[in-house]
Amino acid sequence: MAGRNTGFQPISSGATNLLFVAPAMILFGLFVLWPLGSSVYYAFTSWSGYTKPEWVGLDNFRRAIFHDPVHIASYLHVTLYILGTLVLEVSFGLVMAVVLNSDRAGFSIMRGMFFSPMVLSMTAAGVLWAFVLDYRLGLLNSVLRGVGLDDWAQPWLSQPATALIAIMFVSGWRFSGFYMVIFFAALRRIPRSIYEAATLDGATPIKQFFTITLPLLRQQMLTCVLLAVTGGFAGFDLFFTMTNGGPFDATQVPATWIIRQGFDNNQLGYATAMTVILAVVVLIVAVVYLRVTERGNHVRY
Amino acid sequence: MTLVSRLAATCAMALLAASSALADVELRITHPISSGAGKDAFDKIVAAFEAANPGVTVKQIVFDDDIYSDTGLITQLQSNEVPDIYFQWAGYPMQRDAQAGYAGDLTAAMADGWKDTFIDSAFAPGSGTSVDGKIYLVPVSLDVTNTLWYNKSIFAENNLTPPATWDEFLAAIKVLVAAGETPIITGNNELWPLGNWASHIAARTVPAAEYDAAFRQQKTFAEAGFLKPLELMQQLAEAGAFNKDMQGLGADPAMAGFFQEAAVMHPIGSWLVGSEGDLAAPGFAYGQFDTPVIDPSLPGSKSVIGTMTGFIQHAKAAHPAEATAFLKFLTAQDQAILWSTSGAISPVKGVADKAKLPVQMKGMADMLAGADAMVSPPDTTYPVPVAEAYYQAAAYAASGERSATDALKWLDETVGAMPKP
Repeated sequence: MAGRNTGFQPISSGATNLLFVAPAMILFGLFVLWPLGSSVYYAFTSWSGYTKPEWVGLDNFRRAIFHDPVHIASYLHVTLYILGTLVLEVSFGLVMAVVLNSDRAGFSIMRGMFFSPMVLSMTAAGVLWAFVLDYRLGLLNSVLRGVGLDDWAQPWLSQPATALIAIMFVSGWRFSGFYMVIFFAALRRIPRSIYEAATLDGATPIKQFFTITLPLLRQQMLTCVLLAVTGGFAGFDLFFTMTNGGPFDATQVPATWIIRQGFDNNQLGYATAMTVILAVVVLIVAVVYLRVTERGNHVRY
Repeated sequence: MTLVSRLAATCAMALLAASSALADVELRITHPISSGAGKDAFDKIVAAFEAANPGVTVKQIVFDDDIYSDTGLITQLQSNEVPDIYFQWAGYPMQRDAQAGYAGDLTAAMADGWKDTFIDSAFAPGSGTSVDGKIYLVPVSLDVTNTLWYNKSIFAENNLTPPATWDEFLAAIKVLVAAGETPIITGNNELWPLGNWASHIAARTVPAAEYDAAFRQQKTFAEAGFLKPLELMQQLAEAGAFNKDMQGLGADPAMAGFFQEAAVMHPIGSWLVGSEGDLAAPGFAYGQFDTPVIDPSLPGSKSVIGTMTGFIQHAKAAHPAEATAFLKFLTAQDQAILWSTSGAISPVKGVADKAKLPVQMKGMADMLAGADAMVSPPDTTYPVPVAEAYYQAAAYAASGERSATDALKWLDETVGAMPKP
């Protein structure tokens, strides 16, 4: 009412709004929409990066979905990797958060040590572990040989049976501290009185974990799983530095295969088509996951 | 001094600085010569060029070999600020650059006698330096892309001499395995190190026309007769020839492994010589021999696999005159001798005789002189995806991961799914 009396015009008129959002919209269009649109265009072309793109319709998509077994296998590998990360990163991070949830002396240092791999870049972590797992001079095989277990020394990153598992372990080493911190922060917010009451009722620590801790960490758990799943699909640097998709494509994930096709083999059109497929898959997985978890969140009376 | 005269003096100095800056030329050169004796020699040549051309400075944009060929070069060629000169492999990469309009035509510049300073084969048809008679690549090195390096001491300990035939080669491998040695080390995580050698073996066993037809996707590899080279790879696997970690090992660590006596032989190119100073212990005795003769009745049974490498002047070079001047300087005899001494075989006339070639390079020059054919690596001659598919099939057979028959089946299925040129 006061505004009407002073004669000021409300600034929320359509044209003025557009003026204010224009810079953001221009930036968004220039750096998000335009690259996205051009990517979709290149996905329908045969393009080496050197010559002019040539329109090929759906050929790249047909090849990727029906005639490229390595591309299809890369989704199997990334699914296995994600399942591995759910165990070695999220679950292990949760266990460590519970185990290290104490104010006693030394526990904060242990939490810090457990979190410390997170400060390393993924590339540095990959290179470091490639040295540790080296067949001839690596730390792991040297220890095994040192204690007389020569037959146990393996070319961990050079054989299909062990390469993906090795990457999962390194990923677990790198990220479990991150998930531990998330769970630890949530654990500190659970009132102690609930545990005290449960103890008085005779509940064992394990029963308390499953009946109190886990249900109260549900929201954090869902967030961590979402992060692990979407992050897993985007996984690249660790695979690139440790195995580059090998041996024999056994650790090929969508991102490494896209890079291989795009830059090693100069098939940027085909690589872009696979990128579009990856984006759609991740979108579907994320939307389905969010819908399912939202449904589970409804409070029923 | 008044304020006005101070201002005038400042303006005059600024103008002077600006005009001298305009006179300076920065020549941008990108290449993957990133380490070893080759880098030292190239840096010296650049310094000598700058000293001889006041006002011209050279900016080197250097990448590791693999990064250069994967992403380093293409991103620069696509950028708004292209390099004046760039390193390239002869053959398919040069042809592609010429068709895409990146490579500058140097035919006119070569006409003033520059071309005559090179050996005749440098610009012959099939040399991969020209397209339709137009010269695009200035050759600087003749690389043997695969030969078998061997540890002389371990050979002597086991009473072995360089084998002349495939059967002798297999026998030598069995002797080394029995002695507890790893006969061959290769770092094949990028597929080309073993793939290159396997291609040479294929060129020795598959008729040239069939070999060419398969890589051009005009015939299947099975129809062309590629079972035989894959069976030879399988024979090596069955004899226990290779290091266990070959599929996870990089090319450079494998080379280091050879110099550290982790294995007796190492199949790789002539550039190994340039790394000797960095990786080998003093007194490390090594030599090289070409892939042993497989079938003496076939033409090219004593062939050598190799390619030329050199520099291309960008078609849109910001400083074309200075770029051409640098390339002439680089291939002038004094500089070519300096370059060759670092461990390269120069295609400049007379350099092989005048340069103090390392003994290993001399051996390779002799091997080239005695070869009855020159085979180009498939990944510099044919579409890279097809070449890489063959490399992977060879790795399957050489590691025992698949039989030769299964590897061939996989190869034809994989190449069959690729778009035809």
